[in-house]
Amino acid sequence: MNLHFICNGQAVQIDVEPNARAIDVLRDVLGLTGTKEGCGRGECGACTVLLDGKPVNSCMVLAGKLEGRTVLTIEGVAGADGSLHPIQEAFLDVGAVQCGFCTPGMVLSTKALLDENDSPTIDEIEDALSGNLCRCTGYGKIVDGVLEASERLAQGTQEHGAKP
Amino acid sequence: MNYLKPSTVEEATELLGSSQGMILAGGTDACVYMAEGFCDPETLIDIGAIDSLRGIETQPSDDGDVLWIGACTTISEIEASEALPRALRQGAHAIGSPQIRNLGTIGGNICNASPCGDTLAPLLSLEARFVLRSATGTRTVESADFFTGPKQTVLQAGELLECIDLPIDSCEWISAFRMIGNRNGQAISQVNAAVSTKLEGGVIQAMRAAVGSVAPVPLRLPQLEGALVGKTLQSVQWADLKAPIMAEIRPIDDVRSTATYRQELAVTLIFDALMDCARQDESARKGADT
Ligand SMILES: Cc1cc2nc3c(=O)[nH]c(=O)nc-3n(C[C@H](O)[C@H](O)[C@H](O)COP(=O)(O)OP(=O)(O)OC[C@H]3O[C@@H](n4cnc5c(N)ncnc54)[C@H](O)[C@@H]3O)c2cc1C
Ligand code: FES
Ligand code: FES
Repeated sequence: MNLHFICNGQAVQIDVEPNARAIDVLRDVLGLTGTKEGCGRGECGACTVLLDGKPVNSCMVLAGKLEGRTVLTIEGVAGADGSLHPIQEAFLDVGAVQCGFCTPGMVLSTKALLDENDSPTIDEIEDALSGNLCRCTGYGKIVDGVLEASERLAQGTQEHGAKP
Repeated sequence: MNYLKPSTVEEATELLGSSQGMILAGGTDACVYMAEGFCDPETLIDIGAIDSLRGIETQPSDDGDVLWIGACTTISEIEASEALPRALRQGAHAIGSPQIRNLGTIGGNICNASPCGDTLAPLLSLEARFVLRSATGTRTVESADFFTGPKQTVLQAGELLECIDLPIDSCEWISAFRMIGNRNGQAISQVNAAVSTKLEGGVIQAMRAAVGSVAPVPLRLPQLEGALVGKTLQSVQWADLKAPIMAEIRPIDDVRSTATYRQELAVTLIFDALMDCARQDESARKGADT
Protein backbone atom coordinates (compact mmCIF):
# COMPACT_ATOMS: atom_id res chain seq x y z
CA MET A 1 0.00 0.00 0.00
CA ASN A 2 0.93 3.58 -0.51
CA LEU A 3 1.62 5.04 2.91
CA HIS A 4 1.81 8.71 3.90
CA PHE A 5 2.90 9.91 7.30
CA ILE A 6 5.06 12.49 9.01
CA CYS A 7 8.33 11.13 10.35
CA ASN A 8 10.61 13.39 12.38
CA GLY A 9 8.91 16.45 10.92
CA GLN A 10 9.16 15.37 7.29
CA ALA A 11 6.41 14.07 5.06
CA VAL A 12 7.13 10.49 4.00
CA GLN A 13 5.51 8.62 1.14
CA ILE A 14 6.48 5.00 0.63
CA ASP A 15 5.11 1.78 -0.77
CA VAL A 16 5.02 -1.05 1.78
CA GLU A 17 3.14 -4.19 2.71
CA PRO A 18 0.41 -2.93 5.08
CA ASN A 19 1.07 -5.81 7.48
CA ALA A 20 4.78 -4.98 7.75
CA ARG A 21 5.66 -3.82 11.23
CA ALA A 22 6.32 -0.13 11.83
CA ILE A 23 9.75 -0.98 13.29
CA ASP A 24 10.76 -2.62 10.00
CA VAL A 25 9.49 0.32 7.97
CA LEU A 26 11.50 2.72 10.13
CA ARG A 27 14.70 0.68 10.21
CA ASP A 28 14.78 -1.08 6.85
CA VAL A 29 12.89 1.27 4.53
CA LEU A 30 13.73 4.65 6.06
CA GLY A 31 17.15 3.64 7.45
CA LEU A 32 16.32 4.98 10.92
CA THR A 33 18.23 2.35 12.84
CA GLY A 34 18.23 4.27 16.13
CA THR A 35 14.98 2.42 16.91
CA LYS A 36 16.08 -0.94 18.35
CA GLU A 37 14.44 -4.33 18.36
CA GLY A 38 14.84 -6.30 21.58
CA CYS A 39 11.99 -8.74 22.02
CA GLY A 40 9.60 -8.07 19.15
CA ARG A 41 6.76 -8.89 21.58
CA GLY A 42 5.89 -5.56 23.23
CA GLU A 43 7.82 -6.29 26.38
CA CYS A 44 11.16 -4.48 26.35
CA GLY A 45 10.44 -1.00 24.99
CA ALA A 46 13.68 -0.81 22.96
CA CYS A 47 11.53 -0.09 19.89
CA THR A 48 9.62 2.81 21.53
CA VAL A 49 8.70 5.69 19.22
CA LEU A 50 6.21 8.52 19.75
CA LEU A 51 3.04 8.13 17.69
CA ASP A 52 1.06 11.39 17.68
CA GLY A 53 3.17 12.33 20.71
CA LYS A 54 2.50 9.17 22.73
CA PRO A 55 5.00 6.36 23.36
CA VAL A 56 4.16 3.06 21.66
CA ASN A 57 6.06 -0.15 20.85
CA SER A 58 6.84 0.06 17.14
CA CYS A 59 7.09 -3.75 17.01
CA MET A 60 3.35 -3.90 17.89
CA VAL A 61 2.21 -1.41 15.22
CA LEU A 62 1.43 -2.51 11.68
CA ALA A 63 2.54 -0.14 8.92
CA GLY A 64 -1.06 0.42 7.82
CA LYS A 65 -1.74 2.11 11.15
CA LEU A 66 0.80 4.86 10.38
CA GLU A 67 -1.28 6.36 7.56
CA GLY A 68 -1.83 10.08 8.20
CA ARG A 69 -0.09 10.03 11.57
CA THR A 70 3.00 11.61 13.11
CA VAL A 71 6.00 9.57 14.24
CA LEU A 72 9.01 10.74 16.23
CA THR A 73 12.05 8.46 16.41
CA ILE A 74 15.28 9.07 18.30
CA GLU A 75 16.78 10.58 15.10
CA GLY A 76 14.22 13.39 15.36
CA VAL A 77 14.97 14.24 18.99
CA ALA A 78 18.33 15.97 18.50
CA GLY A 79 18.48 19.39 16.80
CA ALA A 80 18.80 19.66 13.01
CA ASP A 81 22.44 20.65 13.48
CA GLY A 82 23.10 17.47 15.47
CA SER A 83 23.13 19.21 18.86
CA LEU A 84 21.83 16.91 21.56
CA HIS A 85 18.46 17.40 23.24
CA PRO A 86 18.69 18.35 26.95
CA ILE A 87 17.34 14.88 27.83
CA GLN A 88 20.18 13.25 25.89
CA GLU A 89 22.74 15.57 27.51
CA ALA A 90 21.39 14.88 30.99
CA PHE A 91 21.50 11.10 30.37
CA LEU A 92 25.16 11.34 29.29
CA ASP A 93 26.16 13.64 32.15
CA VAL A 94 24.70 11.50 34.95
CA GLY A 95 25.84 8.18 33.44
CA ALA A 96 22.41 6.85 32.47
CA VAL A 97 23.87 5.17 29.37
CA GLN A 98 25.97 2.03 29.44
CA CYS A 99 25.63 -0.25 26.40
CA GLY A 100 23.03 2.17 25.01
CA PHE A 101 20.63 -0.38 23.55
CA CYS A 102 17.71 0.77 25.71
CA THR A 103 18.62 4.44 25.46
CA PRO A 104 16.61 5.54 22.39
CA GLY A 105 13.46 4.07 23.93
CA MET A 106 14.25 5.52 27.37
CA VAL A 107 14.81 8.98 25.87
CA LEU A 108 11.51 8.86 23.95
CA SER A 109 9.51 7.65 26.98
CA THR A 110 11.18 10.43 28.98
CA LYS A 111 10.30 13.00 26.33
CA ALA A 112 6.66 11.93 26.34
CA LEU A 113 6.61 12.22 30.14
CA LEU A 114 8.28 15.64 30.31
CA ASP A 115 6.13 17.02 27.48
CA GLU A 116 3.11 16.44 29.75
CA ASN A 117 4.60 16.87 33.20
CA ASP A 118 7.59 19.17 33.62
CA SER A 119 8.35 18.24 37.24
CA PRO A 120 7.60 14.53 37.70
CA THR A 121 8.08 12.69 41.00
CA ILE A 122 10.23 9.56 41.19
CA ASP A 123 7.04 7.46 41.25
CA GLU A 124 5.78 9.16 38.11
CA ILE A 125 9.13 8.61 36.40
CA GLU A 126 9.17 4.93 37.34
CA ASP A 127 5.63 4.56 36.03
CA ALA A 128 6.45 6.32 32.76
CA LEU A 129 9.54 4.12 32.23
CA SER A 130 7.88 0.86 33.34
CA GLY A 131 7.72 -0.36 29.74
CA ASN A 132 11.44 0.17 29.08
CA LEU A 133 13.82 -2.54 30.23
CA CYS A 134 17.51 -1.91 30.84
CA ARG A 135 19.95 -4.75 31.41
CA CYS A 136 22.91 -2.56 32.37
CA THR A 137 22.27 0.42 34.60
CA GLY A 138 20.00 -0.87 37.36
CA TYR A 139 17.70 2.08 36.50
CA GLY A 140 18.93 4.37 39.31
CA LYS A 141 21.01 6.52 36.97
CA ILE A 142 18.23 6.61 34.41
CA VAL A 143 15.81 8.04 37.00
CA ASP A 144 18.56 10.54 37.94
CA GLY A 145 18.88 11.42 34.26
CA VAL A 146 15.17 12.15 33.94
CA LEU A 147 15.22 14.33 37.09
CA GLU A 148 18.28 16.17 35.79
CA ALA A 149 16.65 16.67 32.39
CA SER A 150 13.46 18.03 33.96
CA GLU A 151 15.51 20.58 35.93
CA ARG A 152 17.52 21.62 32.90
CA LEU A 153 14.40 21.97 30.77
CA ALA A 154 12.75 24.08 33.50
CA GLN A 155 15.85 26.30 33.68
CA GLY A 156 16.01 26.52 29.91
CA THR A 157 12.44 27.74 29.69
CA GLN A 158 13.12 30.27 32.46
CA GLU A 159 16.23 31.59 30.75
CA HIS A 160 14.62 31.81 27.36
CA GLY A 161 11.25 32.78 28.78
CA ALA A 162 9.79 30.63 26.03
CA LYS A 163 6.97 28.72 27.62
CA PRO A 164 4.90 29.98 30.56
CA MET B 1 -2.46 -10.74 3.36
CA ASN B 2 -5.37 -8.35 2.79
CA TYR B 3 -5.39 -5.37 5.09
CA LEU B 4 -8.67 -3.47 5.18
CA LYS B 5 -9.20 -0.23 7.05
CA PRO B 6 -12.88 0.71 7.15
CA SER B 7 -13.78 4.21 8.32
CA THR B 8 -17.32 3.46 9.55
CA VAL B 9 -18.86 0.67 11.63
CA GLU B 10 -21.29 -0.15 8.79
CA GLU B 11 -18.37 -0.69 6.45
CA ALA B 12 -16.57 -2.78 9.08
CA THR B 13 -19.49 -5.13 9.71
CA GLU B 14 -20.06 -5.55 5.97
CA LEU B 15 -16.39 -6.43 5.42
CA LEU B 16 -16.52 -8.75 8.40
CA GLY B 17 -19.59 -10.49 7.03
CA SER B 18 -18.22 -10.93 3.54
CA SER B 19 -14.54 -11.72 4.24
CA GLN B 20 -14.63 -13.49 7.63
CA GLY B 21 -11.43 -11.54 8.31
CA MET B 22 -9.86 -11.06 11.72
CA ILE B 23 -10.48 -7.82 13.58
CA LEU B 24 -7.51 -5.73 14.55
CA ALA B 25 -8.09 -2.99 17.13
CA GLY B 26 -4.94 -1.82 18.94
CA GLY B 27 -3.12 -4.95 17.79
CA THR B 28 -1.24 -5.63 21.04
CA ASP B 29 -2.60 -9.14 21.39
CA ALA B 30 -2.94 -9.80 17.65
CA CYS B 31 0.67 -8.78 16.87
CA VAL B 32 1.99 -11.18 19.50
CA TYR B 33 -0.15 -14.00 18.05
CA MET B 34 1.11 -13.27 14.54
CA ALA B 35 4.73 -12.97 15.70
CA GLU B 36 4.45 -16.30 17.52
CA GLY B 37 2.81 -17.92 14.50
CA PHE B 38 -0.38 -18.73 16.46
CA CYS B 39 -2.40 -17.14 13.71
CA ASP B 40 -1.82 -16.06 10.14
CA PRO B 41 -5.04 -14.34 9.05
CA GLU B 42 -5.76 -14.02 5.35
CA THR B 43 -7.60 -10.76 5.93
CA LEU B 44 -7.17 -8.20 8.70
CA ILE B 45 -9.91 -5.65 9.33
CA ASP B 46 -8.35 -2.74 11.19
CA ILE B 47 -11.12 -0.95 13.11
CA GLY B 48 -8.69 1.33 14.93
CA ALA B 49 -9.42 4.36 12.74
CA ILE B 50 -13.21 4.34 13.16
CA ASP B 51 -13.97 7.55 15.09
CA SER B 52 -17.45 6.49 16.21
CA LEU B 53 -15.94 3.51 18.08
CA ARG B 54 -13.99 5.81 20.35
CA GLY B 55 -14.92 7.88 23.36
CA ILE B 56 -16.62 7.93 26.76
CA GLU B 57 -19.94 9.76 27.22
CA THR B 58 -23.27 9.69 29.04
CA GLN B 59 -26.12 8.49 26.84
CA PRO B 60 -29.80 7.71 27.39
CA SER B 61 -30.88 4.09 26.92
CA ASP B 62 -34.04 1.99 27.40
CA ASP B 63 -32.93 1.08 30.95
CA GLY B 64 -31.97 4.58 32.11
CA ASP B 65 -28.81 6.56 31.42
CA VAL B 66 -25.60 4.69 30.70
CA LEU B 67 -21.98 5.63 30.46
CA TRP B 68 -21.10 4.69 26.88
CA ILE B 69 -17.56 3.50 26.11
CA GLY B 70 -16.60 2.92 22.48
CA ALA B 71 -14.85 -0.42 21.92
CA CYS B 72 -11.74 1.21 20.43
CA THR B 73 -11.20 3.59 23.35
CA THR B 74 -7.60 3.01 24.40
CA ILE B 75 -6.61 1.59 27.76
CA SER B 76 -4.78 4.90 28.45
CA GLU B 77 -7.97 6.83 27.83
CA ILE B 78 -9.88 4.54 30.22
CA GLU B 79 -7.19 4.95 32.86
CA ALA B 80 -7.30 8.76 32.54
CA SER B 81 -11.07 9.29 32.46
CA GLU B 82 -12.45 10.83 35.64
CA ALA B 83 -15.98 9.94 34.52
CA LEU B 84 -15.25 6.22 34.97
CA PRO B 85 -15.46 4.18 38.19
CA ARG B 86 -12.23 3.65 40.09
CA ALA B 87 -12.19 -0.15 39.70
CA LEU B 88 -12.15 0.12 35.91
CA ARG B 89 -9.48 2.82 35.92
CA GLN B 90 -7.32 0.80 38.31
CA GLY B 91 -7.78 -2.30 36.14
CA ALA B 92 -6.73 -0.32 33.06
CA HIS B 93 -3.67 1.03 34.85
CA ALA B 94 -2.59 -2.52 35.72
CA ILE B 95 -2.28 -3.46 32.03
CA GLY B 96 1.19 -3.76 30.53
CA SER B 97 3.17 -0.55 30.15
CA PRO B 98 2.39 3.00 29.01
CA GLN B 99 3.33 1.95 25.45
CA ILE B 100 0.93 -1.01 25.51
CA ARG B 101 -1.84 1.06 27.12
CA ASN B 102 -1.52 3.74 24.42
CA LEU B 103 -2.12 1.09 21.73
CA GLY B 104 -4.39 -1.46 23.39
CA THR B 105 -8.14 -0.95 23.52
CA ILE B 106 -10.82 -1.96 26.01
CA GLY B 107 -12.67 -3.84 23.26
CA GLY B 108 -9.50 -5.80 22.53
CA ASN B 109 -9.07 -6.67 26.20
CA ILE B 110 -12.68 -7.93 26.31
CA CYS B 111 -12.70 -9.83 23.00
CA ASN B 112 -9.31 -11.38 23.63
CA ALA B 113 -11.10 -13.00 26.60
CA SER B 114 -8.03 -14.01 28.55
CA PRO B 115 -9.15 -15.23 32.01
CA CYS B 116 -6.64 -12.75 33.46
CA GLY B 117 -7.65 -9.68 31.40
CA ASP B 118 -7.45 -6.79 33.83
CA THR B 119 -10.58 -4.88 32.79
CA LEU B 120 -12.84 -7.94 32.95
CA ALA B 121 -13.40 -8.30 36.71
CA PRO B 122 -14.08 -4.54 36.98
CA LEU B 123 -16.59 -4.70 34.10
CA LEU B 124 -18.40 -7.66 35.71
CA SER B 125 -18.52 -5.91 39.07
CA LEU B 126 -20.06 -2.84 37.38
CA GLU B 127 -22.66 -4.99 35.56
CA ALA B 128 -21.44 -3.68 32.22
CA ARG B 129 -23.38 -4.64 29.10
CA PHE B 130 -21.70 -5.29 25.77
CA VAL B 131 -23.33 -4.20 22.50
CA LEU B 132 -22.49 -6.61 19.66
CA ARG B 133 -23.08 -5.58 16.08
CA SER B 134 -23.18 -7.39 12.75
CA ALA B 135 -24.27 -6.36 9.26
CA THR B 136 -27.78 -7.51 10.13
CA GLY B 137 -28.34 -5.94 13.55
CA THR B 138 -27.23 -5.43 17.15
CA ARG B 139 -27.76 -7.34 20.37
CA THR B 140 -26.83 -6.61 23.96
CA VAL B 141 -25.16 -9.18 26.22
CA GLU B 142 -24.51 -8.94 29.98
CA SER B 143 -20.75 -8.93 30.69
CA ALA B 144 -21.20 -11.97 32.97
CA ASP B 145 -22.69 -13.97 30.05
CA PHE B 146 -20.18 -12.90 27.38
CA PHE B 147 -17.25 -15.17 28.26
CA THR B 148 -17.62 -18.89 27.59
CA GLY B 149 -14.06 -20.16 28.13
CA PRO B 150 -10.43 -19.10 27.89
CA LYS B 151 -10.24 -16.98 24.70
CA GLN B 152 -13.87 -17.87 23.96
CA THR B 153 -16.89 -15.62 23.85
CA VAL B 154 -20.45 -15.54 22.54
CA LEU B 155 -19.30 -13.38 19.58
CA GLN B 156 -20.48 -15.03 16.38
CA ALA B 157 -18.92 -14.94 12.93
CA GLY B 158 -19.58 -11.53 11.43
CA GLU B 159 -20.09 -9.83 14.81
CA LEU B 160 -17.96 -7.22 16.49
CA LEU B 161 -18.10 -5.50 19.86
CA GLU B 162 -19.30 -1.97 19.24
CA CYS B 163 -19.46 -0.48 22.72
CA ILE B 164 -19.72 -1.07 26.44
CA ASP B 165 -22.62 0.37 28.44
CA LEU B 166 -22.15 0.99 32.16
CA PRO B 167 -25.42 1.58 34.04
CA ILE B 168 -25.08 5.07 35.54
CA ASP B 169 -26.02 4.00 39.07
CA SER B 170 -23.21 1.44 39.14
CA CYS B 171 -20.82 4.28 38.33
CA GLU B 172 -21.94 6.02 41.50
CA TRP B 173 -21.08 3.06 43.74
CA ILE B 174 -17.68 2.93 45.43
CA SER B 175 -15.39 0.45 43.69
CA ALA B 176 -11.85 -0.85 43.66
CA PHE B 177 -9.61 -3.31 41.78
CA ARG B 178 -6.62 -5.31 42.93
CA MET B 179 -4.18 -7.65 41.22
CA ILE B 180 -1.02 -9.19 42.46
CA GLY B 181 1.98 -7.17 41.35
CA ASN B 182 0.01 -3.99 40.67
CA ARG B 183 3.10 -1.80 40.55
CA ASN B 184 5.14 -4.22 38.45
CA GLY B 185 4.97 -2.74 34.98
CA GLN B 186 4.55 -5.85 32.89
CA ALA B 187 3.43 -8.52 35.35
CA ILE B 188 0.49 -10.54 34.04
CA SER B 189 -2.08 -11.02 36.81
CA GLN B 190 -2.00 -14.31 38.62
CA VAL B 191 -5.31 -13.33 40.12
CA ASN B 192 -7.24 -10.10 39.92
CA ALA B 193 -10.39 -8.94 41.66
CA ALA B 194 -12.85 -6.06 41.66
CA VAL B 195 -15.61 -5.04 44.04
CA SER B 196 -18.22 -2.34 43.87
CA THR B 197 -20.28 -1.39 46.87
CA LYS B 198 -23.38 0.66 47.60
CA LEU B 199 -22.97 2.09 51.08
CA GLU B 200 -25.08 4.07 53.48
CA GLY B 201 -23.40 5.32 56.63
CA GLY B 202 -20.67 2.74 56.01
CA VAL B 203 -23.19 -0.14 55.87
CA ILE B 204 -23.19 -2.34 52.75
CA GLN B 205 -26.61 -2.00 51.05
CA ALA B 206 -25.54 -3.98 48.01
CA MET B 207 -22.29 -5.20 46.56
CA ARG B 208 -20.86 -6.97 43.55
CA ALA B 209 -17.59 -8.81 43.39
CA ALA B 210 -15.75 -10.49 40.53
CA VAL B 211 -12.46 -12.33 40.16
CA GLY B 212 -10.25 -13.23 37.21
CA SER B 213 -7.82 -16.12 36.62
CA VAL B 214 -9.45 -18.48 39.12
CA ALA B 215 -11.71 -20.18 36.57
CA PRO B 216 -11.82 -20.48 32.75
CA VAL B 217 -13.81 -17.22 32.65
CA PRO B 218 -13.97 -14.18 34.94
CA LEU B 219 -16.54 -14.89 37.67
CA ARG B 220 -19.10 -13.00 39.71
CA LEU B 221 -19.28 -14.14 43.36
CA PRO B 222 -22.99 -14.06 44.35
CA GLN B 223 -22.52 -16.04 47.58
CA LEU B 224 -20.00 -13.53 48.84
CA GLU B 225 -22.17 -10.62 47.72
CA GLY B 226 -25.13 -11.98 49.70
CA ALA B 227 -23.04 -12.73 52.79
CA LEU B 228 -21.84 -9.15 53.23
CA VAL B 229 -25.05 -7.16 52.80
CA GLY B 230 -26.06 -5.43 56.04
CA LYS B 231 -22.52 -5.42 57.50
CA THR B 232 -20.43 -2.32 57.93
CA LEU B 233 -17.48 -2.33 55.58
CA GLN B 234 -15.13 -1.54 58.48
CA SER B 235 -16.18 -4.70 60.34
CA VAL B 236 -15.45 -7.11 57.48
CA GLN B 237 -12.68 -9.60 58.34
CA TRP B 238 -10.48 -11.63 55.97
CA ALA B 239 -11.79 -14.83 57.56
CA ASP B 240 -15.44 -13.89 56.79
CA LEU B 241 -14.64 -13.85 53.09
CA LYS B 242 -12.86 -17.16 52.84
CA ALA B 243 -15.74 -19.66 52.90
CA PRO B 244 -18.07 -17.89 50.43
CA ILE B 245 -15.22 -17.23 48.00
CA MET B 246 -13.82 -20.78 48.20
CA ALA B 247 -17.30 -22.11 47.49
CA GLU B 248 -17.36 -20.39 44.11
CA ILE B 249 -13.92 -20.35 42.56
CA ARG B 250 -12.16 -23.13 40.68
CA PRO B 251 -8.53 -22.16 40.23
CA ILE B 252 -6.02 -24.39 38.48
CA ASP B 253 -2.36 -25.24 38.96
CA ASP B 254 -0.32 -23.89 36.07
CA VAL B 255 3.11 -22.51 35.24
CA ARG B 256 2.35 -19.23 36.96
CA SER B 257 1.10 -20.50 40.33
CA THR B 258 -0.73 -23.23 42.25
CA ALA B 259 -4.46 -23.50 42.90
CA THR B 260 -4.05 -23.12 46.67
CA TYR B 261 -1.98 -19.99 46.25
CA ARG B 262 -4.58 -18.54 43.88
CA GLN B 263 -7.40 -19.27 46.35
CA GLU B 264 -5.68 -17.46 49.21
CA LEU B 265 -4.77 -14.66 46.85
CA ALA B 266 -8.36 -14.22 45.67
CA VAL B 267 -9.53 -13.81 49.28
CA THR B 268 -6.76 -11.34 50.07
CA LEU B 269 -7.32 -9.28 46.92
CA ILE B 270 -11.06 -9.00 47.54
CA PHE B 271 -10.37 -8.05 51.16
CA ASP B 272 -7.86 -5.44 50.06
CA ALA B 273 -10.27 -4.02 47.47
CA LEU B 274 -13.00 -3.77 50.15
CA MET B 275 -10.60 -1.90 52.42
CA ASP B 276 -9.86 0.47 49.52
CA CYS B 277 -13.64 1.09 49.29
CA ALA B 278 -13.78 1.67 53.06
CA ARG B 279 -11.05 4.29 52.84
CA GLN B 280 -12.76 6.02 49.90
CA ASP B 281 -16.06 6.05 51.81
CA GLU B 282 -14.42 7.41 54.93
CA SER B 283 -12.71 10.26 53.12
CA ALA B 284 -15.89 11.06 51.17
CA ARG B 285 -17.83 11.28 54.45
CA LYS B 286 -15.13 13.39 56.09
CA GLY B 287 -15.20 15.67 53.08
CA ALA B 288 -19.00 15.95 53.37
CA ASP B 289 -18.76 16.86 57.10
CA THR B 290 -16.37 19.76 56.66
C1 LIG C 1 3.76 -6.75 26.65
C2 LIG C 1 2.29 -6.93 26.87
C3 LIG C 1 1.77 -6.82 28.16
C4 LIG C 1 0.40 -6.98 28.39
N1 LIG C 1 -0.07 -6.87 29.66
C5 LIG C 1 -1.38 -7.06 29.91
C6 LIG C 1 -1.88 -6.99 31.25
O1 LIG C 1 -1.15 -6.74 32.20
N2 LIG C 1 -3.21 -7.20 31.45
C7 LIG C 1 -4.06 -7.46 30.42
O2 LIG C 1 -5.25 -7.61 30.65
N3 LIG C 1 -3.61 -7.54 29.14
C8 LIG C 1 -2.30 -7.35 28.87
N4 LIG C 1 -1.83 -7.45 27.57
C9 LIG C 1 -2.75 -7.81 26.50
C10 LIG C 1 -3.32 -6.69 25.64
O3 LIG C 1 -2.49 -5.56 25.61
C11 LIG C 1 -4.71 -6.27 26.08
O4 LIG C 1 -5.55 -7.40 26.09
C12 LIG C 1 -5.31 -5.19 25.15
O5 LIG C 1 -6.40 -4.56 25.80
C13 LIG C 1 -5.79 -5.77 23.83
O6 LIG C 1 -6.38 -4.74 23.06
P1 LIG C 1 -5.99 -4.51 21.52
O7 LIG C 1 -6.86 -3.41 21.05
O8 LIG C 1 -4.54 -4.32 21.37
O9 LIG C 1 -6.43 -5.92 20.92
P2 LIG C 1 -6.14 -6.59 19.49
O10 LIG C 1 -4.83 -7.27 19.55
O11 LIG C 1 -6.38 -5.62 18.40
O12 LIG C 1 -7.30 -7.66 19.50
C14 LIG C 1 -7.35 -8.72 20.44
C15 LIG C 1 -8.40 -9.75 20.00
O13 LIG C 1 -9.71 -9.24 20.11
C16 LIG C 1 -10.35 -9.15 18.84
N5 LIG C 1 -11.03 -7.85 18.84
C17 LIG C 1 -10.47 -6.65 19.18
N6 LIG C 1 -11.40 -5.68 19.19
C18 LIG C 1 -12.57 -6.26 18.83
C19 LIG C 1 -13.91 -5.77 18.67
N7 LIG C 1 -14.23 -4.48 18.90
N8 LIG C 1 -14.88 -6.65 18.31
C20 LIG C 1 -14.58 -7.97 18.10
N9 LIG C 1 -13.33 -8.50 18.25
C21 LIG C 1 -12.34 -7.64 18.60
C22 LIG C 1 -9.26 -9.30 17.81
O14 LIG C 1 -9.74 -9.94 16.64
C23 LIG C 1 -8.25 -10.17 18.55
O15 LIG C 1 -8.62 -11.51 18.46
C24 LIG C 1 -0.47 -7.27 27.30
C25 LIG C 1 0.06 -7.36 26.00
C26 LIG C 1 1.42 -7.19 25.78
C27 LIG C 1 1.96 -7.29 24.38
S1 FES D 1 11.19 -4.86 20.50
FE1 FES D 1 9.29 -3.89 20.71
S2 FES D 1 8.96 -4.03 22.81
FE2 FES D 1 10.75 -5.21 22.60
S1 FES E 1 22.26 0.73 28.95
FE1 FES E 1 22.41 -1.34 28.28
S2 FES E 1 20.35 -1.94 28.25
FE2 FES E 1 20.22 -0.04 29.19
